[in-house]
Amino acid sequence: MKNRNTPPGDLAIWIFIMAELSVFAIFFAVYAFTRANNVELFNESQLTLDRNLALINTLTLITSSYFVVRAVAAIRENNAKHCFNWIIAALLMGLLFLLVKSYEYNHHYSEGINLRTNKFYMFYFSLTFFHFMHVLMGMVILAANAIKTRAGNYTPENHTGLETGASYWHMVDMVWIILFPLIYVMR
Amino acid sequence: MTYQSQSVAKPYFIVAIALFVGQILFGTILGLQYVIGDFLFPEIPFNVARMVHTNLLIVWLLFGFMGAAYYLIPEESETELFSPFLAILMFWIFAVAGVLTILGYLLVPYATLAELTMDDLFPTMGREFLEQPTITKIGIVIVALSFLFNIGMTMLKGRKTAVSLVLMIGLTGLAVFFLFAFYVPENLVKDKFYWWFVVHLWVEGVWELIMGAILAFVLIKTTGVDREVIEKWLYVIIAMSLITGLIGTGHHFYWIGTPEYWQWWGSIFSAMEPIPFFMMTIFAFNMVNRRRRNHPNQAAVLWALGTAVMAFLGAGVWGFLHTLAPVNYFTHGTQITAAHGHMAFYGAYVMIVLTMISYSMPMLNGRKEANSNKSQIVEMWSFWIMTVSMVFITLFLTGAGILQTYMQRYTDTPISFMEVQDKVAIFYWLREGAGIFFLIGLIVYVASFFIGGDEPEATVKDAA
Amino acid sequence: MSETFTKSMARNIFYGGSVFFFLLLLALTFDTESALPELDNRENLTEEVALGKRVWEKNNCVGCHTLLGEGAYFAPELGNVYQRFGNSTDAIKGFIMSRPKDGIPGRRSMPQFNLSDEELEGIAQFLKYTSGINTQNWPPNIQG
Repeated sequence: MKNRNTPPGDLAIWIFIMAELSVFAIFFAVYAFTRANNVELFNESQLTLDRNLALINTLTLITSSYFVVRAVAAIRENNAKHCFNWIIAALLMGLLFLLVKSYEYNHHYSEGINLRTNKFYMFYFSLTFFHFMHVLMGMVILAANAIKTRAGNYTPENHTGLETGASYWHMVDMVWIILFPLIYVMR
Repeated sequence: MTYQSQSVAKPYFIVAIALFVGQILFGTILGLQYVIGDFLFPEIPFNVARMVHTNLLIVWLLFGFMGAAYYLIPEESETELFSPFLAILMFWIFAVAGVLTILGYLLVPYATLAELTMDDLFPTMGREFLEQPTITKIGIVIVALSFLFNIGMTMLKGRKTAVSLVLMIGLTGLAVFFLFAFYVPENLVKDKFYWWFVVHLWVEGVWELIMGAILAFVLIKTTGVDREVIEKWLYVIIAMSLITGLIGTGHHFYWIGTPEYWQWWGSIFSAMEPIPFFMMTIFAFNMVNRRRRNHPNQAAVLWALGTAVMAFLGAGVWGFLHTLAPVNYFTHGTQITAAHGHMAFYGAYVMIVLTMISYSMPMLNGRKEANSNKSQIVEMWSFWIMTVSMVFITLFLTGAGILQTYMQRYTDTPISFMEVQDKVAIFYWLREGAGIFFLIGLIVYVASFFIGGDEPEATVKDAA
Repeated sequence: MSETFTKSMARNIFYGGSVFFFLLLLALTFDTESALPELDNRENLTEEVALGKRVWEKNNCVGCHTLLGEGAYFAPELGNVYQRFGNSTDAIKGFIMSRPKDGIPGRRSMPQFNLSDEELEGIAQFLKYTSGINTQNWPPNIQG
């Protein structure tokens, strides 16, 4: 492995990741601030969320991140076939996340709960839907990585594109790891 | 000038500057009407003068953008313009339509203009900045489409660069979002909501792409920095513009009858809107510092740096000042908005067009690279007079706005709009003074084109 | 060593980011549309109100006034003028009718638009309708 003093992947994605994390950070801060002023409402509404499903989703994303790590490791050992398989596995995990989350959304909507129901749900839907779209985006990027892996575009020496996709995916995962306790658990 | 057909840009630039003069003249009339309420009443009431002021601004910036594209695209594509004839034809159509529309505003009452242009058949008139008769709007669409076709075909047959691609995307977006100008629902909330799809997605969306592309082009030319580096940063900056600016639209949806969540979404994303402008400032200075050559057209470099700084101040800082919903609750629709509007438009869009004119006009006039020293010095004077004047206009309006916000909105004993206007009149007088200085700066600017014409070109001074 | 910051990656982020956030804007727009019936006072949007909006537009009222804070800052906010004028459409009509043709010396004055009775009623009803829009409690007070 090469020595370097730059983060893995393309530097441009890190500028993007910084921007994304700032948005989430502001969102989280605003959530905390608003919650502090409406503790009862937030606690009460929080109980209607399905924590088990969210836990499953947390594990799903962490697992998918692990698969992505394996994918990068595989390409470094010049094993493009394994790399491809690991990415597909990660994508399937991403898909599972989306399905579970959609099920949750469907449940809320069937109960007539939406973005405008109250302040808690405003944050709940905004944050999770914003994150949901990030998972989708991450999957699009990983899919592009998979195609390129298949085409033999990555080598042990040069697989910046894959590292870039992996970095983004880890960010998406990390945001959820903050989001999960913040919205579903913390009281 | 590398390609003969680039010369079609010249009439566009000349008309742009002429309309700019008109815009500022009406600006000084408006400023005076703020303190002498019956000035030119009832011949030119405030709303008419304001319409002329804002519409001239939009039209001359469009002339400037088109001229910039006609100059830039052939050079980037390394080929002659697809059809110089079409470009000149559209120039005349646009110029005549523009002049007729302005005359329409000035010569007959607005309601009569609506009757004359049969607005009832397809009503689109009477909305801020989109006051043009429907027939003019259709004309704008035709001109825009022909223009996009012309530069698009030019790009297709030549080299495709990031600069020309971004410019093309920006201009296409400009045309596409303008189509919302034709959607005028009876429902006022919807009307306002989609009105912003033109106004916001123009000035805080696709226009930033146009600005970025033009700035990148001028920096490539004047600094000699590697194109790869500049184009890379161009992409990052405009990515930031759209990432923050698209959802940033929400900062206009706080109080117009839309759901409350826009206060959160709008605040969070528009709070980040200064970032791309800040990056643009850093980018411009960085490129100039890393320059591989000293360009003899120092005036153009000054404009390029100026626009980066002033866009950040006007759009970034002054925008941020009142973009958060809890602040905007009190400042919405006050002179704070006017202050922001003035500096943002000047810094981002007036100055980028002037940057392009400054860079290309010497070549369009048959020079090799630059105007004479004498002419450049006059132009730089005009830069400073106009820019400093605009800073003062903005500061005085901000002063008026802060007082207005306090007396009319914030205090426990609010007083009426008209009383407040009387109390802050001193700021309006000061603003009018700064406005006169701006006009002087503009006259100096125009004069720079007629000074030192027979003197030799400026040469590169010792490398820094 | 491979390039660590490439133009193609910057370009992809531009395209990807733009599409992403445009879709998000569309999603929020979609949600807003479904929320509007509860907010925009459409049950009171009569033919008269629609005519009034046309009068508002044809006379370029937004060239001096703000309406829900948008417009020019030369004349008072009209989103809540109905309340400011004591919940009276007659007061609004009376004000518009009484504007002097040649203005007021030294002062700002609204032009005399010579509106017909029908137009006057329309504009007054339009402003009344506007005052019923849920604006999240804006403006902060009656002065607009």
